[in-house]
Amino acid sequence: MTYHHSSTARAVLRSLVPVICPPEAAHLADAIVDHMALTIGALPSLAAKGLAAGLVTYDLGALVRYGRRASRLGPVQAEAYYASWEHGITPVHVQFAKGINQLMSLSCYEQPEMMEACGYRAAGWIEQVTKKRLTVFADDVRKQNEQILAPDPLRPSLKKEVA
Amino acid sequence: MAVARPALIEGARPRGVFTRHDIHGDTVLDCDVVVIGSGAGGSTVAAELSEAGFDVIVVEEGSYYATRDFTADTSAMVRQLYRDGGATIAVGNPPVMYQEGRAVGGSTVINGGMSWRTPERVLDRWERSGLDISAKAMEPYFERVEKRIHVAGMDQEAIGNDNQLLKKGADAKGWKIIGNLRNQAHCVGSNRCAFGCPTGAKQSALVSYIPRALHYGARVYADVKVDRITRHGKRATGVMGKSAAGFNVAVRAKLVVAACGAIHTPALLVRSGFRSPSGRIGHNLSMHPNVKVVAIYDEPVTGWKGAHQAFQVREFEEQGLLFAAVNMPPSVLAMSFPQRGRALGELMVQYDRMVLAGMLCEDTATGRVRTIDGRPQAFYQLNETDAANLQRGVSLLSELLFASGAKRILLPFHGAPELASADDARRLLDNRIPAKGWEVVTVHMMGTAAMGADRSAAVTDSFGTVYDADRLIVADASLFPTPIGVNPMETIMALATRAAAHIIDNSRRFVS
Repeated sequence: MTYHHSSTARAVLRSLVPVICPPEAAHLADAIVDHMALTIGALPSLAAKGLAAGLVTYDLGALVRYGRRASRLGPVQAEAYYASWEHGITPVHVQFAKGINQLMSLSCYEQPEMMEACGYRAAGWIEQVTKKRLTVFADDVRKQNEQILAPDPLRPSLKKEVA
Repeated sequence: MAVARPALIEGARPRGVFTRHDIHGDTVLDCDVVVIGSGAGGSTVAAELSEAGFDVIVVEEGSYYATRDFTADTSAMVRQLYRDGGATIAVGNPPVMYQEGRAVGGSTVINGGMSWRTPERVLDRWERSGLDISAKAMEPYFERVEKRIHVAGMDQEAIGNDNQLLKKGADAKGWKIIGNLRNQAHCVGSNRCAFGCPTGAKQSALVSYIPRALHYGARVYADVKVDRITRHGKRATGVMGKSAAGFNVAVRAKLVVAACGAIHTPALLVRSGFRSPSGRIGHNLSMHPNVKVVAIYDEPVTGWKGAHQAFQVREFEEQGLLFAAVNMPPSVLAMSFPQRGRALGELMVQYDRMVLAGMLCEDTATGRVRTIDGRPQAFYQLNETDAANLQRGVSLLSELLFASGAKRILLPFHGAPELASADDARRLLDNRIPAKGWEVVTVHMMGTAAMGADRSAAVTDSFGTVYDADRLIVADASLFPTPIGVNPMETIMALATRAAAHIIDNSRRFVS
């Protein structure tokens, strides 16, 4: 499914980056929100539509309490408003807040800078061990590849008997 | 503006693999056997029957990717290789998030590569229920599968610190721990099993049974979603599907093999109009509920370097519990934490000192796959018996991790305090944690088209032949009459090999 953030969804998510992501990720907000679009696009369409509707509801819901949309709340109010959903009055509020937390945390720690901060350097490691396998174990790797294709009929004595 | 897009670059395809790029209009194909799904069951049947001389077509909903396409871009791999981005939910309280592969090679592309025979106690149970399946009868099929996918113990140098800590803890407790048997040829510990093995070491169906099937003449049509099995009365006659580009694809076949996994196979049977005399299609869903704990150590662990699940703690196997170390990338771990903001940052900065340990529970509850508007929806309610077993397992696993030097342990249920000692771990058992409080995931779905000797109680016979249907065989984990308590891939492959032998032996009945 192709998914695009609406301007409302983008604004709400952008405003939630300081609430959900660590302070050191603040400058990555746009990249995090962009990444979330990719993830949401892979979800079941019903879930993606539910999230999109939820973001609009979340945005407008702040009007009642703060007189302004969630996407325009200051840091203290944004924190308090999200927390009110996180510990919400209905399971739907709670699940929505949890879902956004999960998606945004995923996108946050998919940023190369954040992975580096965790000490996670998978690309270099993959390159290193792949090279090792194809050199140190080259003979065994070749033998296994040959074994995969070698004749070894399940029923040696039988020929296909299709009329 | 960001949009969802293919994240993997699909390179050249081997001869015999056709994708959405090769289907330029409505297409009709003919063959002896059409196999729906290219995972553990489908690929095995396809390879065995192709070598026996049958003309086989495999139809796969997912795309074709080769080893070179698998990179360190975790979320891109998840988006492309997992159904629904890995976020499919079985409805229940708690909901159970489950993952299925959706690519050529199926879930074998994204599993941990554990290769275990069906435990004898399970085969005995099945035999006692009337099935003509015994450990002795299955042995040649297990041997054949193990040779094909190169089941072996791990090279010692590929075992990472997280697994060594698991072993240290088990040894300190005096608990049984064994080296995992895995389908790998010199795994070098990239620890990326769940995202497509980038070294080619994991002998998934993608690099074993599928190449073999192609070598012996099978054709694989990727990017084609099967809508229904066509039939003439009770006789299956082929499949109808649609390519990712929107063209109709019809395959006419003498035999149809459904190998779409325990969620999609029952839905396919139902929407194709097949009815079991037992009324049990979609029932009997087992899930091996799985929970994880995170242990934090003082010293660096660097768990992402080293083989995934090199060991399994088998001390509590008879009680239906297995433990393993299951490192995941930071992003996947971060999304599992309830923490956010500064607290999340403070936790994640300790990523390199964490051991993620998981636990598989052989469940007593069963759920159901219902077909709603043609689509499968799983329903599964964790019962209090299994929740109590999970609670005991978390307590024991935590004790083990403390015995290996863990300083703190984070737990998989709502509002749980961190554990700071083995005494804390033991005190976990003081208060019952209700089923609804758990965070449960799984990758082992089984049992929804169960085999059995009694057609009034089962969906298929022991070869997967669907009762009250003709020329229709199931070859995936749907067949399991009960959960098996270990990783299911080898059991699926062995049963599929057995089914292939049955088809070859009875070719006049199935493929004339």
